[in-house]
Amino acid sequence: MSEADIEQTTETGASNDRLTTSGESEEQLREEWREYDFAGQPKLSVEDLDVYYGDDHALKSVSMDIPSESVTALIGPSGCGKSTFLRCLNRMNDRVKTARIDGSVALDGEEVYQDGTNLVELRKRVGMVFQAPNPFPKSIRDNISYGPRKHGDINKGLLARLLGRDDTDKEDELVERTLTQAALWDEVNDRLDDNALGLSGGQQQRLCIARALATDPEVLLMDEPASALDPIATAKIEDLIEELAEDYTVVVVTHNMQQAARISDQTAVFLTGGELVEYDDTDKIFENPESQRVEDYITGKFG
Amino acid sequence: MSNVRDTALHSGESTTSELAATGVLGVSFAAFVASWALIFQWVDETATVAGLSVLRLLGVGLIAAAVGLVAIGVASRMDALDTTPSPTAGFAVGLVVGLLWSIVGAVLATALLGAGTLLWVPAALAFGVAGSLSSLLPREDIGSTVPVSLVIAVLGGAIALGRLDAGWTWEPSWLSATVPGSELVPILVVFGSLLAVWSGAKARNGFGAQGREAGAFALIGTVVFGMLAVLALLIGFIVVNGLETMLTGASLFGGQVTVPVIGVTLPWVNFPFLTNVTGGLFVEVPGVLPATLGTLWLVFGAVLFAVPLGVGAAVFLTEYAERGRFTQVVEVATNGLWSTPSIVFGLFGLAFLVPRISGGNSIIVGQLVLGFMLLPLVLITSREAILAVPDEYRDASAALGVTKWQTIRSVVVPAAMPGTITGVILGVGRIAGETAPLLLVFGGPPYPSQTPNVLGSFQLTATPPFVTNEALLSPASALPYQLYSTITAGVFPKEIFTDSEFGWGTALILLLVVIGLYAIGVGSRLYFRRKLHHE
Repeated sequence: MSEADIEQTTETGASNDRLTTSGESEEQLREEWREYDFAGQPKLSVEDLDVYYGDDHALKSVSMDIPSESVTALIGPSGCGKSTFLRCLNRMNDRVKTARIDGSVALDGEEVYQDGTNLVELRKRVGMVFQAPNPFPKSIRDNISYGPRKHGDINKGLLARLLGRDDTDKEDELVERTLTQAALWDEVNDRLDDNALGLSGGQQQRLCIARALATDPEVLLMDEPASALDPIATAKIEDLIEELAEDYTVVVVTHNMQQAARISDQTAVFLTGGELVEYDDTDKIFENPESQRVEDYITGKFG
Repeated sequence: MSNVRDTALHSGESTTSELAATGVLGVSFAAFVASWALIFQWVDETATVAGLSVLRLLGVGLIAAAVGLVAIGVASRMDALDTTPSPTAGFAVGLVVGLLWSIVGAVLATALLGAGTLLWVPAALAFGVAGSLSSLLPREDIGSTVPVSLVIAVLGGAIALGRLDAGWTWEPSWLSATVPGSELVPILVVFGSLLAVWSGAKARNGFGAQGREAGAFALIGTVVFGMLAVLALLIGFIVVNGLETMLTGASLFGGQVTVPVIGVTLPWVNFPFLTNVTGGLFVEVPGVLPATLGTLWLVFGAVLFAVPLGVGAAVFLTEYAERGRFTQVVEVATNGLWSTPSIVFGLFGLAFLVPRISGGNSIIVGQLVLGFMLLPLVLITSREAILAVPDEYRDASAALGVTKWQTIRSVVVPAAMPGTITGVILGVGRIAGETAPLLLVFGGPPYPSQTPNVLGSFQLTATPPFVTNEALLSPASALPYQLYSTITAGVFPKEIFTDSEFGWGTALILLLVVIGLYAIGVGSRLYFRRKLHHE
């Protein structure tokens, strides 16, 4: 047996040991990070959230508090429930017929999962950006003003003009503000009436972010917003997320750990089976995680 | 067989074999085109070119093609040519060639031994087997040229020697009709030249996989040409027959139009066939205006009835109803409704709608019946179109807090618009030419002396039903209906046209109306597409 082989065996043995020991202390660990502390009130607080798709238990008793005006990253392997968790925060999972949701999500202390919740109001306050850019087949301007117009915040068209309630100025203002926030204004300000499908993928995604900002949300949920984009477009989106965190509470799902490390203030690690394994400051998670499984996942040894 | 040449990626300049094969292709395609010209009577079958009658020339062309094919096949087999043949031509080729040979065998046996003997059965069998084997057993370059060439050569020989010519007729005992040789011979040449085109294209590309590809491509391309020719013939035939009637008395500036307010009279287009009524005492050139307006009113009413209902049902089925037994039943029922014969719709209208609505034939019952016929197609196509709208749009809209109904109205239905319009175009094409139900529920006097005045007949009443329209409750005439009456029973009241002249003119106008409706549909589809996709 060569020296290298011996070294390898000992290493494997050691890590096996640690795996077993860490399994025992899992409960205790959870208690620790559940008390992950931050100054001020949580923007979103989730208690014992369970999600079932038919018989599939997709999310197991997840609890976490999300601080406001910061970037919270949700990372984990495919199928670990991080997107499911995200879609529970604005009740988008209600649209899945087989989904059953138990537990509690509170926005600014107000329960989201209760009878009589105004979904329109909830989704105005909790905006969402999807994995693949999905602008409507309309002009750039109409994409931005779609939400406010449907909510009656902006009146436009013949009837509005006849009634003297035409909000074209307000719309222009909104379009310029949100596109500037989404760092897209300089690229498209001369073609606002062109169809949004003519933009590049990265521009489309930033337009979707601008569209989500147009309803004046407090929270922005992003489901792998850069996974369908090239590195340059990804870098732009990442910069944008960091800037948005100054005014908004951003929750971003990613399976790119470097991305999470770069942009987020705190990171939650979901692992296979729909469990939230660890949730802490991003630096802590990436430098010195409590759980062995999280360390294995982050260092590339799949946990 | 030496492999060196076969594996070369690029064979240099065009070889003799390629030139020969190109020649075969050219001759066969020329024969193909010429025989279509003969079938359509664009060329008279008695015409002569350089002393030879056209038919004989076609026969000679087929023989030349056959000789060329055999030469290429044999030369390729002797490895004198740059080809890459497969070991065999394949079963499909064997089957087709066997079938062709058995036909040749049966015909030869009957021709040589006389009709009435049953010897043609074994002859057909023997020839079929021989043909199959001769194309299956040898290498592909022989198998897909020589047996086919023999068939072509026999056909070409019979035509060139005058055994099959324009004077010959075919009177099969099971058919009371007589098929003249002037039509039949060109049809046979069409098939012969198709065979030659296929084989020649294969040879030109050196057999093997490339050759098969080229053969199939040439065959499909030639067939498509034939299909276009049929379409052109149909439209051309109607135009040629109807144009003179349609343009009777027409002139660019012969008419006059008075500008309403100023009172100035300007020269205007004069088009009596389109702008005159059909009957009446003082009509010099009887026209089709009442029937044209009738058709347009029918289509308008049917679309007005069917589109909102069909799109609404499609939205309900795709967006609201759970996919399950109920939607399946609706789907089956819709498809069944679409394939229901139109006369059945007409009968329903006659028995159910006529007594309840108008008590006699009327425009509105015609509109409803045609609307019923249009409904299933609108439902089917708009349902497909709505299903094809990406779910991402619905998700994006829901995430903005927009309700389902608003999403459907401002995202889903607009995105499905081009598909829906396609369905409406197809359906309108069908109902605009529909005759059978109109005979039962719609048609009035075949030669009306006034146009249906639908817009002017609306009247408000103080008692229910509050709105009445005498014109909608009266019968009228439509183009297909008028065409049918003219051709079957018509004793045309004016001497200027015969029945069939008037009929052809009506048919041409009907064709133009349908094409015009298509143009409107295609235009609006383009408009919505451009709105949905960038530029």
